[in-house]
Amino acid sequence: MKNRFFLVVATVAAVALMTSCGKVPQANIDAAVAAIDSAKTMQADIYLPGDFAALNDSLTVINQAVEAQKSKLFKNFKDVKVKADALAVVAGELAGKAVVKKDEVKAEAETLMTQAKALLEENKTLIAKAPKGKEGKAVLDEIKGEVTVIETSLTEAQTIFDAGTNYMQVLDKVKAANEALTAINTELKDAIAKVRR
Amino acid sequence: MRGPLIKKLIYIILISVFLGFLGWLFIALIPEPPVTELEQASRAVSQARDNNSVIYSARLFREAESYYDSAMTSWQTENNRFILFRDYERVKMFAALSQKKAAEARKNTIVRANGMRLSLETETARLNAEIAAFEKVFLSLPLPPETVKKHARGKLLLREAEIDLNKGQYVSGNVKVTEANEYITSSYTYARKILEDYYTGYNRWQELVRATVDESRRSGSYVIVIEKIPGLCHLYHAGKKRYTFEAEFGSNWIGDKINGGDMATPEGQYEVTKKLSGASTKYHKALLINYPNKQDIEEFKYRVENGHLPSDARIGGMIEVHGDGGKGGNWTEGCVALRNNDMDVVFRHSKPGTPVTIIGSTITLEEYLSTGK
Repeated sequence: MKNRFFLVVATVAAVALMTSCGKVPQANIDAAVAAIDSAKTMQADIYLPGDFAALNDSLTVINQAVEAQKSKLFKNFKDVKVKADALAVVAGELAGKAVVKKDEVKAEAETLMTQAKALLEENKTLIAKAPKGKEGKAVLDEIKGEVTVIETSLTEAQTIFDAGTNYMQVLDKVKAANEALTAINTELKDAIAKVRR
Repeated sequence: MRGPLIKKLIYIILISVFLGFLGWLFIALIPEPPVTELEQASRAVSQARDNNSVIYSARLFREAESYYDSAMTSWQTENNRFILFRDYERVKMFAALSQKKAAEARKNTIVRANGMRLSLETETARLNAEIAAFEKVFLSLPLPPETVKKHARGKLLLREAEIDLNKGQYVSGNVKVTEANEYITSSYTYARKILEDYYTGYNRWQELVRATVDESRRSGSYVIVIEKIPGLCHLYHAGKKRYTFEAEFGSNWIGDKINGGDMATPEGQYEVTKKLSGASTKYHKALLINYPNKQDIEEFKYRVENGHLPSDARIGGMIEVHGDGGKGGNWTEGCVALRNNDMDVVFRHSKPGTPVTIIGSTITLEEYLSTGK
């Protein structure tokens, strides 16, 4: 009778031990999620979108692993914990990289903006020097109109730049302005050179 | 003594076998978790996101994500139940739906992105051609500054759209190209309408030129024919064109002169009334013409009487063909300006009574639109 009792107790204890030896490492997962949120705050989704998407993929894998372990009789969350810790580290690194990338894009936008403004001023000077042959005035009027529009576009770009929300957007706008200003610059210089010849 | 021991041993073995069987049964009855299905679904969603389905197939992609979330939620719910009572069929169903929608989104994205790229390429090429046509044909027209600005705005937006095209950002590229199209097409349409309206006088212009040249042929004298659109002044003698010079007009040169101060150059048949040179003109040399003639006066009166012009409007006058031209553009207040050397020739061959016919153009609208000259 005593032996039977010990047998039942041992069986129940073994089952209880086997089914409750693993606990979801929620703190580690929360830390990983917080690190991803932090990377998003640093605009990693804008400046490093591919890497940021990879973070979310890793989180998905972790969530699946958690449920996979929960589905088992003998749970083991060691691997989940390792993955969550690694994800938190990678997300933290990505937040740092996003800051660096943002600074790079900002610097590039700033350089291009300076170039564009210099070109704008140079073009204004060239317009005053440009020849007014047959239809020259009409062409100059058109160029003046274009320069005014580009100037407005650069002002818009400056506003976005000052807000600091998305330097990528500034970059695209300023690149287009620079291309247009360079084309005008070449046109004006060619026209002036022809007259001098 | 041995009997009860053997009996006890058999009893223990039987219990062990029974418990082992129960354990095996318990494990065997635990349902297989849908790990593979969920992995496949998340991979499909991830691939769809990577090929920009979130942009090009937003609805399908959202559905795929939603089914995936439902699969995960169902899985969590099942996992909260007693292990033997779990049923993962719904989880698997949601995972399969998610995978299917993600695959559809991916496929749809490829088709849509290609379509948008093609559309963007076609539109940018078409608008570039329209810009070139505008600059070739309409730039010399006296267009309102707002129209010129619209054209420039469209041109800049088109450049931004081209940058998007090169970066593979077809959605924002298409948005920009649509906006650019509005600016470019509206300025093109407006300019073309001005020209088309102006060209309604084409047949009359031809008649005027024919009559003037016939008069030159009949009388064997010099006549002056001036074309505004190409900006030319022709000198005919005995019905044959002898000289052609570049000419400049009033800043509002398109159309006939309506009243004084409208900066327009009159159109019609006139004649030289006076030759001015030296101190009597400030434009090198000048030929005063008989604007307003009888027809101009009648038209002016009609406009005033019918309220098309204010009652205190004046008809204007002192229209000349004079020197000091070659400035580029149309800058006079309604006169015709020639370069001084050219004016010398015209002046030499003119006298009071020399016919001066001013028209829009001798070339057709189609020719002008195709050549811009």
